[in-house]
Amino acid sequence: MLEIGSIVDGKYKILNKIGQGGMSIVYLAMNERANKQWAIKEVRKDGVKDFEVVKQGLIVEIDMLKRLSHPNLPSIIDVIDQKDNFLIVMDYIQGNSLKDRLDEFGAQPQELVIEWAKQLSDVLGYLHTRKPAIIYRDMKPSNIMLKPDGKLTLIDFGTAREYKEKNLADTTCLGTIGYAAPEQFGGKGQTDGRTDIYCLGATLYHLVTGMNPSEPPYEIKPIREINPSLSSGLEKIILKCTQRNPEDRYQNCAELTYALEHYDEIDDIYRNRQKKRLSAFITTIFLAIVSLGVGVGFDKAAEAKTDEQYEDVIAEANSLTNEESIRATLKKAILIKPGDKEAYISLIESYYNPQYGDENDMYNFSVKEAQEIEELLNDYGSDLKENKSNYVEVSYELAKAYFFYYTYGNEDKSGDNENAKYKAAKKWYKNVIDYSDENNFLYWNESKIYYEISEYYTSIGDWENTGDFKGKYLEYFSNYIQLFSLASDNKKINNDNIKLRMYQLFSSALAAKTEKFINDGVAAEDVQKLLNQMQAEIQAIENPDNNLESLISSIKASNQKIEIKIQAMSGS
Amino acid sequence: MDYLVSASTDKGIKKNTNQDSLAIKVADTSIGKVALALICDGMGGLQQGEVASASLTRAFSEWFDNNLSKLIQDGIDDFKVRREWEQIIKNENKKILIYGQQQRIRLGTTIVAALFTENRYYIVNVGDSRIYEIKNHVNLLTQDQTVVENEYRKGLITREQADNDPRKSILLQCVGATGDVYPEMYFGKTETDAVYMLCSDGFRHVISMQELYEHLNPKVLISKEVMKRQSELLIELNKSRMEQDNITVSLIRTF
Repeated sequence: MLEIGSIVDGKYKILNKIGQGGMSIVYLAMNERANKQWAIKEVRKDGVKDFEVVKQGLIVEIDMLKRLSHPNLPSIIDVIDQKDNFLIVMDYIQGNSLKDRLDEFGAQPQELVIEWAKQLSDVLGYLHTRKPAIIYRDMKPSNIMLKPDGKLTLIDFGTAREYKEKNLADTTCLGTIGYAAPEQFGGKGQTDGRTDIYCLGATLYHLVTGMNPSEPPYEIKPIREINPSLSSGLEKIILKCTQRNPEDRYQNCAELTYALEHYDEIDDIYRNRQKKRLSAFITTIFLAIVSLGVGVGFDKAAEAKTDEQYEDVIAEANSLTNEESIRATLKKAILIKPGDKEAYISLIESYYNPQYGDENDMYNFSVKEAQEIEELLNDYGSDLKENKSNYVEVSYELAKAYFFYYTYGNEDKSGDNENAKYKAAKKWYKNVIDYSDENNFLYWNESKIYYEISEYYTSIGDWENTGDFKGKYLEYFSNYIQLFSLASDNKKINNDNIKLRMYQLFSSALAAKTEKFINDGVAAEDVQKLLNQMQAEIQAIENPDNNLESLISSIKASNQKIEIKIQAMSGS
Repeated sequence: MDYLVSASTDKGIKKNTNQDSLAIKVADTSIGKVALALICDGMGGLQQGEVASASLTRAFSEWFDNNLSKLIQDGIDDFKVRREWEQIIKNENKKILIYGQQQRIRLGTTIVAALFTENRYYIVNVGDSRIYEIKNHVNLLTQDQTVVENEYRKGLITREQADNDPRKSILLQCVGATGDVYPEMYFGKTETDAVYMLCSDGFRHVISMQELYEHLNPKVLISKEVMKRQSELLIELNKSRMEQDNITVSLIRTF
């Protein structure tokens, strides 16, 4: 908080506080030497989570903003980095925001709104065509100042993009996030210039109807349903700006500006008059035929180009060594061709496979990584499903990552890890089982076994909570015997690692709840028989490596525990 | 009419704090026994969500203690309940909003509250907490005020799209986050031998309607102890299914 009357940086005298946002306070200041008024925006460092993380981005962004020059943008003339805060010195804009104007007078005259729309489209176009493009992301009436000369200024500009990312992990309220376009809510989270076009459309709607789209009835209706005297041309423009799918909006501000300049020509009356001109009609047909031909040609070419691009990006990923860049590149590949399995599978492997660098992260599939891949599959799973075998393979890889490497709950030692792991793995093994069968997927039987194991682990909790576990352990044990014989059948599972991991799971489950199994009716002799068989299988493994050795010793320890427990039970 | 009541809350497996607040009260009045139950699901960084939900809960609780008897004396009706509750919510909205501006944080809370009298119930809802009536089947009495639910109701997206929409956690409105708040109200006949269940969204993401019915139907809920036990059992079930949110449920069984 700056003190009123204090002098900042030896030249700016703070006169008073003129505004307050979520992250910042704006003061009016006077440069007494130059006798000029400035606005100073104070961004407090303690008000920002992980300030050090955003600081660099903030500095870069402010530097970039300092270089902008447009009649509808405030000039930033100075940035002062102090201990507790950042001070951004910029033009002091006299006037009121369009929100103030809406609050006071309600809906604004159409001609005025169109005039404003042109200015706003122009300034957004200017920002979008910077290199790199600047996306404003927060267009709303309270961010637009109307100066006494009738010109608009877009404010609230010195804040870094980090501040504007909508955080959707937690419950939030529509009112606080403004007129966010659908793509701003994560998921297909590609925000670009068309996001600003959406928000501009919502702003124009609010201005010309007086109805706030983020208040009941929470929608953008055709404006003439609210006021029939409004222009059908403007109605079309607003509807086109605010389409859910970015592809259906104006693709850039130049298109929008053109539409705004000719809004009366797309009015229905004007159109009707036009339709009478037959010659124009014929020309249209002719043009349509031409463009149809061209369109087909483009489609084919585009497809070939996509394949080529995809291969290139995958090759690029393979050539990289840094884990982060490999992943970023693979994600890029997924976006190019979301129906192909290769990029997904490589991405999943990169999460835990030690060959991808980071030693500390070996064999760890973290919660964050899981979220990343789940989101991708949520968005593009339908593309992937177009070819079932692709979907099955990706599901199998992901299930495996969860089953063996998922670290959920490890950090806080809450013991939730087991449950989370098997629950997530179960879902993806289920996909494998459902979308393929024994004959068309090599690892179908293996997946089935893992599915059963996961099912057992995730339901133990339920049985015990509901107290309804009578017969469950018995049922499970007989299940186990069947699976065991399946696992011992080398034709079906020819992989020692997997076999041992499975034995380990079963014997540790048995060891943990030996009494429950026995009390539920499992015969001690059967358990003993199983342990003997397991022992025989283990001995048959030739030249186990270190990894297998450690599995074997863990199985042996569990088996010993089981034997002791059984003896204790029969002894008592 | 008489009521058995119970309430349970749990911070769940993921969050460090419980930002849900609840109140449940029964009183003897000149028009028979009446019961008030409400749940507020707070949101906001750190402990701040609790501030919002607790403050609104307290306001309703105080209304029950101090204003309800006067309202009953004057003759209670839908219109009067609406007026008084809207007033409480608008006042609290302003208070929380100002608090948030002072602290430079964003916070807010949902609310679902229900007042039961001999023959009529009064419900107010802002956000995505819910109230169900369970008798011969499970009947949802409130509509979630979420962006996705709204688009689904308007036919813009299908049920499946709605269930997978990344915007699921965006509320159309909540108390304390914006200048205006428009509570929705529902009125109806209080059923005898029915269970009214209020819950925060954390209680219902991973539990099916069938499971709700099986555990909470009036034939099962025959005493306070059973009600408490069944609530806790479902909370644990939620946790074992990896629900991430705070979990709160209140039950009112009429008889």
